[in-house]
Amino acid sequence: MNVTNTDMLLLVLMTIAALWTVMARSLLKATIGLAITSAVITILIFRLNSPLAAVFELSVCTGLITVIFVSTISLTKPLTHKEILEMSKARHKRYIYLPIILVATGIALLFLKIPNDFTLPRLATPATNVRNVMWNIRHLDLFGQIIIMMIGAFGVVTLFITKDDKDGS
Amino acid sequence: MNMLLLPILIPIASAIIVLLLPKSAKLLRDTVTLLSTFANALLAIMLFNKEILVSYPWVGFGFEFSLRLYNFSSFIMAAAASFGFLIALYSSAFTAAKNYSKSFFVYLLISLALLNGAVLSNNLLLMLFFWEALLITQFGMIMLGGRLAFRTATKAFVIIGASDLCMMVGIAIYGFSSGSFAFSNNMPLAGLGGLAFVLLMIGAIAKAGSMPFHSWIPDAAIDAPLPVVAMLPGALEKLLGIYFLTRISLDMFRAETGSWVSYLLMIVGSITILFAVMMALVQKDYKRLLSYHAISQIGYMVLGIGTFVPVGIVGGLFHMINNSMYKCCLFLTGGAVEKQAGTTNLEKLGGIGSKMPVTFACFLVTALAISGVPPFNGFFSKELVYDGALERGWIFYLAALVGSFFTAASFLKLGHAAYLGKADKDRKDVKEAPYQMLIPMVLIALACILFGVYNKLPIKFLIQPVLGVDRLRGHNYWGFPPNFILAIISVVVLAGAFLNHIYGVKKTGSGLKAVDHIYHAPVLSEIYDAQAKGYLDPYNIGLGFLNIFSIAASWFDKAVDWFYNVFSVKTAALLTNASRRLQNGNYKTYIILSMATTVLIVLFLLRSV
Amino acid sequence: MSSVLILVPLFGIIGLNMLPRNVARRAAFWFAAAVFTAEILLAIVHQPAFWTEALVRFDSFFRLKFSVDSLSRIMLICIGVVSLSSLVVAKSTVSDEKEAFKFINILITASIGMSGIVMVKDIFSLYVFLEIAALSSFILIAFNKDINGLEGAFKYLILSAVATVLMLTSIAILLLDSPDTAFSTLHNEIAHSRGNFIVTFAIGLFICGLFIKGGLVPFHGWLPDAYMAAPAPVSILLAGVMTKACGIYTLMRIVASVFGFTDPIKNTMMLIGMISILVGAFAALGQTNFKRMLAYSSISQVGYIILGAGTGTFLGLAGAAFHLFNHAIFKGLLFVNSAALEEKVGTSDMSRMGGLSERMPVTGATSVIAMLSASGVPPLAGFWSKLLIVIALWQIGHYAYAAIAILASVLTLAYFLYMQRQVFFGKLPPGLEGLREAGNGLTLTASALAVITVGAGLAFPYIYNHFLLPLKEIFF
Repeated sequence: MNVTNTDMLLLVLMTIAALWTVMARSLLKATIGLAITSAVITILIFRLNSPLAAVFELSVCTGLITVIFVSTISLTKPLTHKEILEMSKARHKRYIYLPIILVATGIALLFLKIPNDFTLPRLATPATNVRNVMWNIRHLDLFGQIIIMMIGAFGVVTLFITKDDKDGS
Repeated sequence: MNMLLLPILIPIASAIIVLLLPKSAKLLRDTVTLLSTFANALLAIMLFNKEILVSYPWVGFGFEFSLRLYNFSSFIMAAAASFGFLIALYSSAFTAAKNYSKSFFVYLLISLALLNGAVLSNNLLLMLFFWEALLITQFGMIMLGGRLAFRTATKAFVIIGASDLCMMVGIAIYGFSSGSFAFSNNMPLAGLGGLAFVLLMIGAIAKAGSMPFHSWIPDAAIDAPLPVVAMLPGALEKLLGIYFLTRISLDMFRAETGSWVSYLLMIVGSITILFAVMMALVQKDYKRLLSYHAISQIGYMVLGIGTFVPVGIVGGLFHMINNSMYKCCLFLTGGAVEKQAGTTNLEKLGGIGSKMPVTFACFLVTALAISGVPPFNGFFSKELVYDGALERGWIFYLAALVGSFFTAASFLKLGHAAYLGKADKDRKDVKEAPYQMLIPMVLIALACILFGVYNKLPIKFLIQPVLGVDRLRGHNYWGFPPNFILAIISVVVLAGAFLNHIYGVKKTGSGLKAVDHIYHAPVLSEIYDAQAKGYLDPYNIGLGFLNIFSIAASWFDKAVDWFYNVFSVKTAALLTNASRRLQNGNYKTYIILSMATTVLIVLFLLRSV
Repeated sequence: MSSVLILVPLFGIIGLNMLPRNVARRAAFWFAAAVFTAEILLAIVHQPAFWTEALVRFDSFFRLKFSVDSLSRIMLICIGVVSLSSLVVAKSTVSDEKEAFKFINILITASIGMSGIVMVKDIFSLYVFLEIAALSSFILIAFNKDINGLEGAFKYLILSAVATVLMLTSIAILLLDSPDTAFSTLHNEIAHSRGNFIVTFAIGLFICGLFIKGGLVPFHGWLPDAYMAAPAPVSILLAGVMTKACGIYTLMRIVASVFGFTDPIKNTMMLIGMISILVGAFAALGQTNFKRMLAYSSISQVGYIILGAGTGTFLGLAGAAFHLFNHAIFKGLLFVNSAALEEKVGTSDMSRMGGLSERMPVTGATSVIAMLSASGVPPLAGFWSKLLIVIALWQIGHYAYAAIAILASVLTLAYFLYMQRQVFFGKLPPGLEGLREAGNGLTLTASALAVITVGAGLAFPYIYNHFLLPLKEIFF
C-alpha cells in the first residue's frame, strides 16, 4: 500500500486536532477537537482500505464519546477567570514535560532494541461497502448501539430531569 | 453408606438438630446431645481395633476422601468419644443456667465430628481439612466466655493458626518431595525432609499445647467456659496433637533414635515440663494452675515420644491417655468448685473438702495420679518416660524428675488451699455438686485407678498394637516398673515434695503459701519477678531461666512488638500515604499513571517479540 | 437461545416503560427479580441444547450470535446473584418509588451489558457491550446526583474513555491483520503472525485497556473514588460483578481464546496481579472508611484472579474463575453489610463505629464469614480458590509468587481483623445505643450470600467437577 501525500496530510491534521483536544482551555473546545480527531481518523482508516474499522470508529467514537462529553460538560460549573488563569499555568507547566517524555521514550526504544519492523503481517481482505457492513455483518453491534442510545435516554431521564421541588443539578 | 462415615455424620447431624431446636427446649437439647454423644461413644467402642478402609472421590488431582480405621485411630476415637459423652453429661448441669448452653453443645458435637474425621483421615490433605475446621470451633467455643474472651480467642486463633500455617507448608513440602500425601512414606530426614518434619511437628505440638505455643491456654482457662477448657486443651486437642506427632515420628519419617529431631523433641519436652510447672507452682487460681499443668504434662509426652526408644514412646502414649483422663477430671472438679463455691480464687477458697466430699475424693485421686504416686496411672506412665529419657541422657531424666517434684508440690498446695484449711466465712453453706457433674468425675477417677492398678489393660490392648509387637520385644512394660531404682528415686522425690510442703506450711502457716520459699529462692525469684513484670511473656519462645535469657526474650518481645506496632504500622502508613499521594483525586494523575504503565507494558511485550 | 438473556430484559424494560406508571413501578421489581433468578437457574442447570438451539422466530429476526460456555456460565451466575442482591438492597434503601423504578431500569440495562459481555464471541461486539455496561454504571454511580457521585462517575468515565480509545485502536490495528473480528478468526490470524511488531503492539494496548477497566494497580485510580461515591446498591453491583465482567473476565477470555498465553503476556499478567495484591492490601490496611477499604480490598482480590489466570494453566484458570465467583459473593456480601451500616449508622467512617455486632448480629456474623472467606480460611470457598491459584503457581515453578500469595492472605486477614475490631467489636460509641439491626431485605440478602459462601466451600468437590473442570474447553 502506498502512503500518499493526502494520507500524510491527514496524519498531521489528526495530530494537531488531538493536541488541540488535550491542550484546549475549555471542555467544549476539547470536545470539538475530539470530534474532529475522530472524524479524521475515520477518513484515514477508510483510506487505508479498512471500511469495517472506519464504520466502527464513525459509529462509536464520534457519536457516543461526544455525547458523553457533552453531558459531562453540562454537569460541570463554569470556571471563574482566576481559576482559568491558574489552570492554564499548571497546564503549561505540565506540557513542558511532553517533549522530554517523547525524547526519553525514543531513547528507551533505541536502548531496548525494540524491533522497529513496521511491516503489516499481511493485508486482510477488504470488506464490502458500508451498507453491507452495517446491516449484514455487524447487526449485533448495531443492536448493541441501539441499547446504548436507550441507556443514554435513561441517563438523561435519571440525571437531568428532576422534580420541581428539587434543585436541578 | 459405610460405617466409617457415621462417626462424622452422627455428631454433625445432631449438631444441626440442636441448632434448629429453640433456645428454650433445654431438656430436648440435653437429650439429643447426650444420646448422640453416647451413640458416638458406643460406635467408637464397636469399631475398636477393626481395620476398615474406605475412599470416595474428592477434589480431584488424585486426592481422595479416604478414611482408614485401624488400631491407633480407633483408640484415639474411643477415648475422645468417651470424653465427649462425659463432658456433655457434665455440661448439661454446668451450663444449665448459662445462655450459651445451646451454642456450646453445637460446638461440642461439631468438634467431635471434626476430631473423628481428622483421626480417621488417611491422607494429610483430608486431615488438614478437619484439623483447620477445628480451629474455627475452638475460636467459637472460647468466644462463648463473653466479651472478655475475645482477646483470648483471637490469641488462640493466631497462635494455632500460625502453627497450622507452618504445618500446611510442611504438608506441602512433604507431599511434593515424597510424591504422595499418604501417611506411610518413610521419608528420610535429610534436607527438605528435616524441614518438613519440623514444620509438621510444630503443627502437632501446637495443637497439643506444648511450649512455645501454649500461652493462650492459661488465658482460656480463665476466660472460656470451663467445659471448653476441660474438653479442648484438657483432652481432645492433646489426643489429636500427640496422635499426629506419633504418626509423624513413626509412620511418615524415618526417624532414628540418635537423630537431631529426637534431641529437638526431647529439649522441647523438657523445657515445657520445667517452665510450665514452675509457672503452675505460683498460680493463685484453681483453673489457671491446672491449665499450666495441662501444658507441663504435654512435655512428658513429647519427651517420651522424642526419645524414639520403644519404652519412651509407650510411656508417652500411655501418659497421653492418662493425662487426658486426670486432667479432664481435674478441670471438672475445678468446674464443680466454681459452680458450687462461686469462685476459683485460692485465696478465697478453703475447707470445702468436707462439704464436697465426692469432688474432693475425685480431686485427691487425680491429683495423686498426676503427681505420679503409685499405684495410680500417672506413676506408671511417668516411670516409662523416665526409663526412656534415661536411656537417652541423664539431663532429660533430671528435667522430668524435677518437673515431677514441682508437680507434686503444686498439687499439695492446691489441695491444701482449696479443700483443707479453714473455710471462708462467705462460703459456709457450700453444697455438693449435682449428680450429672459427679458421675463423669467419679467415672474418670475410677478409670485412673483401674489404669494404674491393672496397667496391663491399656498398655497391652491400646498401645501395644500401635507400635507392633515386634518393636516392643525385649522389655517388660506392664506390671510394676522393672527398674526398681528409678521407682525408688521417684518415690523419694515425691516424699521430698511432701516434706517441702510441710516445711512451707510450717514456715508460713498457710497451705496457699507453702511454696513461697521456692518463689523467693535466689535465682527463681528473679524469674518469677520477670514473669510478673511480663518480661517472660509466654508468647516468646524459649523463655530463659536466667535473667539474661529473660532480657533477651523481652528484647525479642519488644522487637516483635515493634514489628507489629511500629514497623508494620509505619510501613502501612508509608504505603498508604504513597498511594494517597497518587490517589489525589485528580483524574489527570490517574491517566498519566495509566498511560505510563501502558507504555511500559507495550514496550515489554514488544521487546520480547 | 442464549439471546433470550438479552432480549427478554430488553423488551421487558421497554414494555415496562409503556405501562401505566403505578403498575410499572410495582411490576418492575418483580420483573427484574424474575429475570435475575432465571439467569441464575439457567446457568446452573445448564442444558447445552438450550443454549445452542436457535430460537426460531427471535434469532432469525435479530440474527444475534451468542454462545454460552463454561466460563460464561460461572459469570452468568455471578451476574445474576449480585444483581439480585443489588436489587433487593435497592428496594430497602431507595425509598422513593419513582427513583427506584429508574434504578431498576438502569440495573437491568447494566445486566444486559454484562450478560452480553460474557456471551459474545466477537471482539468488537464485546467492546459494544462493554460500553453498554460502562454507560449504565456511569449513570448508576451518579444516581444520587450529589457532588461525590458525579465526581466518581466522571473519573470512571474519563478513565473508561482512555480504555475505550486503547481498545478501539487495538481492534482497528488487529483488523489490518484479520478479515473478521470473531474470536476464532482472530485467534488463528494472531497465531499466524505472532511476533509481528504491530500485532504485538495492538495486543499490548488491548490488555492495558482491560487493566484499566478491571482497576488493577497502577490503573486503579478511578476505582476507590467510584466505589466510595456510588450509592450502596450500586457499589454492590460495581464491586461484585461490574468491574469483574468488564475487566477481569474479559481479560481472561481474550487472553485464553484470542491472544493465547505467551510467556510475555503471562509474565505481565502475573506481575500486575502481584502488584495489585500487595498495593491493594497495604492501601486497605491504612483506610479509615469502610467502603474505601473494601474498594482497595477488591483491588487486592482482583490481583489474585489475574495472578491465577496469568499462570496460563488449566488449574490457574480454574482457581481464577472460582475466585472470581467467590469474590463476587463475599465482596457483594461485605458491601451489603456496608449498606446496612450506612443506613443505620449514617456513615461509613469506621472511627465512628464500634461494638456493632451486639446491635446488628446478622450483619456482624455475615461479615465475619465474608472476611474469613476472603482471607482464605478453610473450609470456606475463598480457601479453595486461593489454594488452586497457589498450586497452579507452584506447578509452573513460580515459587516466589506462590509464597507472596500466601503471605498476602495474612495481610488480608490483618486489614479485615482491623475492620472487625473497629466496626463490630469493642465499645459502642455514644449516640448509637438505640441502634437496631438493618431491615429484612438487607439481612436476608446478607444471610443468603453467607450461605452461598459456606455452601460453595463445603460443596467444593461438586463445584470442581461440574463448574471448573469444563473450563478446559476455553483453551483453543
